[in-house]
Amino acid sequence: MTIYSLYIYDRHCTCVYYQDWHRTRRPKPAVEGGLLPAVSQAVSPQPSDPNPTSASAYTSPRNTLSSSSGIVVAMNDALSQQTASPLLKTPPSAVTVASTGLSFDEEAKLVYGVVLSLRNIAKKLSGRDESFVNYRTSTYKLHLFETFSGYKFVMLSDPYTDSLRLVLRQIYVGPFLEYIVRNPLVDMDSKLAGVDNEYFRASLDRMVRGLSVFS
Amino acid sequence: MAIFGLWVINKAGGLVYQRNFTDGLAQLTSNEYLVLAGTLHGIHAITSRLSPIPGPSSGAQVIEGETFKMTILLTATGTKFVLLTSLAEPSADVMLQKVYDAYADAVMKNPFHTPEMPIRSDGFEQRITSLIGDGRTTS
Repeated sequence: MTIYSLYIYDRHCTCVYYQDWHRTRRPKPAVEGGLLPAVSQAVSPQPSDPNPTSASAYTSPRNTLSSSSGIVVAMNDALSQQTASPLLKTPPSAVTVASTGLSFDEEAKLVYGVVLSLRNIAKKLSGRDESFVNYRTSTYKLHLFETFSGYKFVMLSDPYTDSLRLVLRQIYVGPFLEYIVRNPLVDMDSKLAGVDNEYFRASLDRMVRGLSVFS
Repeated sequence: MAIFGLWVINKAGGLVYQRNFTDGLAQLTSNEYLVLAGTLHGIHAITSRLSPIPGPSSGAQVIEGETFKMTILLTATGTKFVLLTSLAEPSADVMLQKVYDAYADAVMKNPFHTPEMPIRSDGFEQRITSLIGDGRTTS
């Protein structure tokens, strides 16, 4: 029993948030321009300058704000550097990570395409306004929860977990509402940036790690 | 518990057999079924690439909606058998194996059948009727 990853899509079909847990086969980082800023530090395009600290710390007046002790409550800079936030400390994993061969932006599009097509199939077959709920393969199970505002929460777990729809709903009514919808600094629905911020990431992380199916 | 329908999709994604049993899902035209089967074929290929762990992964085996589920059996030759049932139906996997048996006996052993083409065989129809009947399972 385990949880692999979570994708959040907005109503414009773009991925606005990503996080993974026990995933041992990861996509390559997204290509430049393929992914909005503030979706996930782990899969964002790598900055082209390999040694960003070589530049002066005061290239822009904004840089005075990027301290290493604070907490990022909203992001709008694509190249904001990873800071060692006190909220996001996770134990380092010793598992070697294989690559899917896909870049993250391609993978995100594939996931969205599958979810959307299956939703349309379910709608068409049932003749009602019915959504698809989950599907299972030999190695994973994908769960979908869609809000009325068109946000789609997609979670990958191992194939033997029960439906995680209620968990996804809990993520929506809990951390998502608290740290994204009620956060005036997060520009939702902007098509310019994702919704990643440290309080949300930490709160979501705590919640998922506390689940009985997470081990 | 009910079995709503059975599809057979050939290895190119074409729908070669489609039959409805119990009512419960929308009645679609044969053209719409063709489109849905083609879409499913494509999705099935993508789902096997999205695996989060190393090693080979199958494509989607069970797809659940709110009131029905689709159980998919992919054979070694690439033919897919899809059974549309109610969510609680426990016998879908076993039923698909029996359908595969019937397909092997009544379709593949039929010298007048052209592979990958629509299945028009009374023998197969009869085997399916005796297997699934009107789609109402008692279990």
